Amino acid sequence: MEVWLQVAGQQVKVNAQWLQQQLWVHFNGKTFVVESNSGKKNSSGRGTVASSDTVKAPMPGKITKIFVKAGDAAIKGDALIVMEAMKMEYTLKAEINGLIQKIEIQVGDQVPLGKTLIKIDPGT
Amino acid sequence: MIGKIKKVAIANRGEVAVRIIRACEELGLETVLLHSEVDVQSRAYRMADKKICIGPAATNESYLNIQANINGALAGGADALHPGFGFLSENADFAQACKEAGIIFIGPEPETIRRLGDKVKFKELAQKAGLPLVPGYQGSDQSVAVLISECEKIGFPVIVKAAAGGGGRGMKLITSKVEAKDQIESAQREALSAFGSAQVFIEKYLDRAKHIEFQIFGDSSGQVVHLFDRECSVQRRHQKIIEEALSPSLTDDLRRQMGQVAVTIAELGRYKGAGTVEFLLQDNEFYLLEVNTRLQVEHPVTELVMGVDLVKAQILTAAGEYVFDSHKIRAPRGHSIECRLYAENPYLGGMPSTGVLGSVIWPDGPGRRFEYGFEENDEITSYYDPMIAKVITWDENRPRCIQKMIRVLHDSVIFGVRTNIPYLIQILSHPEFIKGTMTTRFIEKYFSQALKEEKITDFEKQIVDQVLPIAKSKNLLVGTSGVITPSPWSHFVAAPKGDK
Repeated sequence: MEVWLQVAGQQVKVNAQWLQQQLWVHFNGKTFVVESNSGKKNSSGRGTVASSDTVKAPMPGKITKIFVKAGDAAIKGDALIVMEAMKMEYTLKAEINGLIQKIEIQVGDQVPLGKTLIKIDPGT
Repeated sequence: MIGKIKKVAIANRGEVAVRIIRACEELGLETVLLHSEVDVQSRAYRMADKKICIGPAATNESYLNIQANINGALAGGADALHPGFGFLSENADFAQACKEAGIIFIGPEPETIRRLGDKVKFKELAQKAGLPLVPGYQGSDQSVAVLISECEKIGFPVIVKAAAGGGGRGMKLITSKVEAKDQIESAQREALSAFGSAQVFIEKYLDRAKHIEFQIFGDSSGQVVHLFDRECSVQRRHQKIIEEALSPSLTDDLRRQMGQVAVTIAELGRYKGAGTVEFLLQDNEFYLLEVNTRLQVEHPVTELVMGVDLVKAQILTAAGEYVFDSHKIRAPRGHSIECRLYAENPYLGGMPSTGVLGSVIWPDGPGRRFEYGFEENDEITSYYDPMIAKVITWDENRPRCIQKMIRVLHDSVIFGVRTNIPYLIQILSHPEFIKGTMTTRFIEKYFSQALKEEKITDFEKQIVDQVLPIAKSKNLLVGTSGVITPSPWSHFVAAPKGDK
């Protein structure tokens, strides 16, 4: 929908549309996404929360290389996995120091967004 | 019916498929779209007269499958085929297979593609003709050890490229021996997956070069001309983002010399149809990079400054009915810029943002051109290139053209996926871009980090606060309170990019 608003004495043309519980709003060259429920960002499920001991797929794509195996020590910044999506390669790196606990994928797997790929045990 | 062409098969997708369909419509030709299973929800699919599914989403089973395309074109009753760009457009075997199946390939002859399009053979040819090349290695020994030692001989930094590639895929920068093995292997994997061949070659990396290219065209009579130049220095990960015609950096003298080299190359390959000769320019010295034996993504900027329709010219040339009046080859007029709109989140360093498109609004007007392959409810998937559309502007001079582009991007509305529009606007507003002095390292120098999330201003918050209740009254199914986040993925950490 397109609406004209009177804000702080200015006329502003605003475009807005609901898409999956999110209101997309465009005006003055910027796009905003408004969540419909407070305290529940990412309600659309299209984003993933990256917790540092779990490496999740940041996008749907194919696993093309795995650099580590279970039991390996990983240092923050180490390359763990290479994924390919939209014809580009992305290297996923360790965000913490720790031991590789579990690898849940194999080279060649097509993974969905948010899939847990590797778990790292940070120890104590 | 033009010459022997009545029905044209389109072996491509997205905005270029739409571009080709339109050219055919104007010429009164029928169209057959050869598409993958997932591309039934696309603008080209809705426009084509006939559509034939040639395979599943994965490119090697559909858009890169020669036999599937040939079978589709034959089943659709096409007498000619336009390959677009990317996919099989520079594949000599495909051009050959079309010929053998009795289908006119809209592009150069298979022999021309072999001579010029094969990046390795091309270098040998140019070397023999005494044309200036970037120092490098293009040997057939592809073992990683040999490639590493060749890198050392050339001297770091070097760049590894897919021999069968283009568009920045399978291309890696290597700055030291330590990273050589990983980067070479990564380039080989990308090359194999994107182009079906793991062969790579190495070039010296010129660290402050400009990317300049010349549009060449060979008409039905065998006459070859160039239609001036484009500059595509604004590249990220070797993928062009903003292109313009003409280049703001060439002196008349350089332009004349490079144009001559471009035509010489095209003549050596007995070029027919549209092609591009790419150069690097550094410290007023130019080096031949490669020839792209196809239409280029950025062809619209040339069309706008030269007053030509390259796609129609390609089709007419293939039909044997396009001859340049050499006395009338036009002079360039004004300036044109193209921006590639990608479905990605600029606040997360360009992370792909796939999803179903919501409303899309293009602010039409004089000197504004929009090339898009997807509309509302179409999905931008992770199977293919994340380009949603190309926006092209034309104006009397470069400053006005930049001004127009910024305004057009400002007024373009795309819902459903994040786009690189904020990123493009910042690039277009950068002093170095405005001066026209940018090199291929421009992005790396000034825009290597994700854009900083801007804080929502009070004014913006007021607007959103006013819109929300209005929007809610039109949709009672959603929750009650609104939380504003400029990006829905603000706490989702960007993955570091492989080639950084």
